[in-house]
Amino acid sequence: MSVGHERFEELAAAYALGALDGEDAARFQAHVAAGCADCGRAVIDYREALVPVAEDFGEPPPERVRETLLERVRRAGGGRASRLRIENLGAALVRAATVALAAGLAAVVSGAYVGSLYKARLEQVMSEEVELRQQLAEQMRAVAGLRGQLAEQERTLTLVRTQSAGHDRTLALLSDPATRVVTLGGLGPTPRARGRMVWNARAGGLLVAVDLPSAPEGKTYELWAITGGTPRPAGLFNVDRDGKGSLTVPPLEGAHTVDVFAVTLEEAGGVDAPRGQMYLSSKEA
Amino acid sequence: MVSPGSDLVRRMAGGDGDAFAAFYDAYAPLAFGLVRRIVGDPEEAADVVQEVFWELWRGAADFDPIRGTPAAWVTVRARSRGIDRARSARRREEMFVAQPHEDGAVADGRAHNPSTVVEERETIRGVLAALPANQREVIELAYLRGLTQTEIAERLGQPLGTVKTRMRLGMERLRRLAGART
Repeated sequence: MSVGHERFEELAAAYALGALDGEDAARFQAHVAAGCADCGRAVIDYREALVPVAEDFGEPPPERVRETLLERVRRAGGGRASRLRIENLGAALVRAATVALAAGLAAVVSGAYVGSLYKARLEQVMSEEVELRQQLAEQMRAVAGLRGQLAEQERTLTLVRTQSAGHDRTLALLSDPATRVVTLGGLGPTPRARGRMVWNARAGGLLVAVDLPSAPEGKTYELWAITGGTPRPAGLFNVDRDGKGSLTVPPLEGAHTVDVFAVTLEEAGGVDAPRGQMYLSSKEA
Repeated sequence: MVSPGSDLVRRMAGGDGDAFAAFYDAYAPLAFGLVRRIVGDPEEAADVVQEVFWELWRGAADFDPIRGTPAAWVTVRARSRGIDRARSARRREEMFVAQPHEDGAVADGRAHNPSTVVEERETIRGVLAALPANQREVIELAYLRGLTQTEIAERLGQPLGTVKTRMRLGMERLRRLAGART
């Protein structure tokens, strides 16, 4: 046992008395909390030693304290106490009735009196039940509200994850050495229009177009990947009011190399082979 | 062996109101006498005891018989709440009466009550009477008035080391006396 411990042992008595000054009390608590069973035991022993001091002062409290407490416990769900009280009440009433009858005062403990006692108790219980049901309903509403918030947050999280996945794909596409960027220039009706195609044969690509006129009603822009003179449909897109449009293109089966990317205006829903006016085209690779 | 009191507390933890009634009957006088000695006023003491036993009912599941008897559980809680109440009364008095006490004792208001003098005499009885007066004095000031060792030293005009020694010797003696009782 260390010298330090002996000092703490000396503090145990004062600690049990609640007489240690703040700093000493904190140090002693830390010492016990650190696992000193001897000092912990000493405090317990000193506290037990103070019990006889309190016993010497022993004095019954006013009866109202007991009554109030037992009633409070009964309301809080100490059921057996309440049954005991009701049984005691019943027994007391029987005793009172016997005495009263003997004295010719049976009317004092009449059925109406007993009935009113139980009626009041029943009404109290019913009132408590109504209150509990209201509390339950409020809590259910609160839970429903929390569930709604949770669902909303899950939707937001899903959206963020989707966007994040899209960004991840774009980043992967741009950092892949096999990815190439193809410029598309405006033709015929829209010489100012232009586009840029980021393309990776294995991963697909992304087309961004600007300065295209809005597609007329019933029409749509269609992207083509042309290899060896054969066009493959690569997706449909439209542009916003500013003439900007974009299209994510999945990998095209068998299209290991693409000579030209082109955009035409076609019937809504797209076509298998280009028939409409060509608006954008890349130079042949 | 599990004491009857411990068994009552175990049943209280399970929501047994009968057990609480029996527990109250067994330990309320212990708590009330102690709290009354600390706060002075019987009405205040009754309120504190009610508060204490309500806490014990609510906290019955936390009782650990390894850490002491139910009697110690009750007295520690009752003493603590009693000191709190007496301190609160003193603060109230200081605020509204503007008559600060010299030493910060928690129940100095009692000194104005003539009945307190009789009670002070009554204090010297039972196990405390078995202690030398100077040891009994420091233990009473700590246990019943809530003073720390430093405050006691200031109040008595004694060196702090002297107060510490008297307190330790007195408590060791009480411990031996309690051991002899069991």
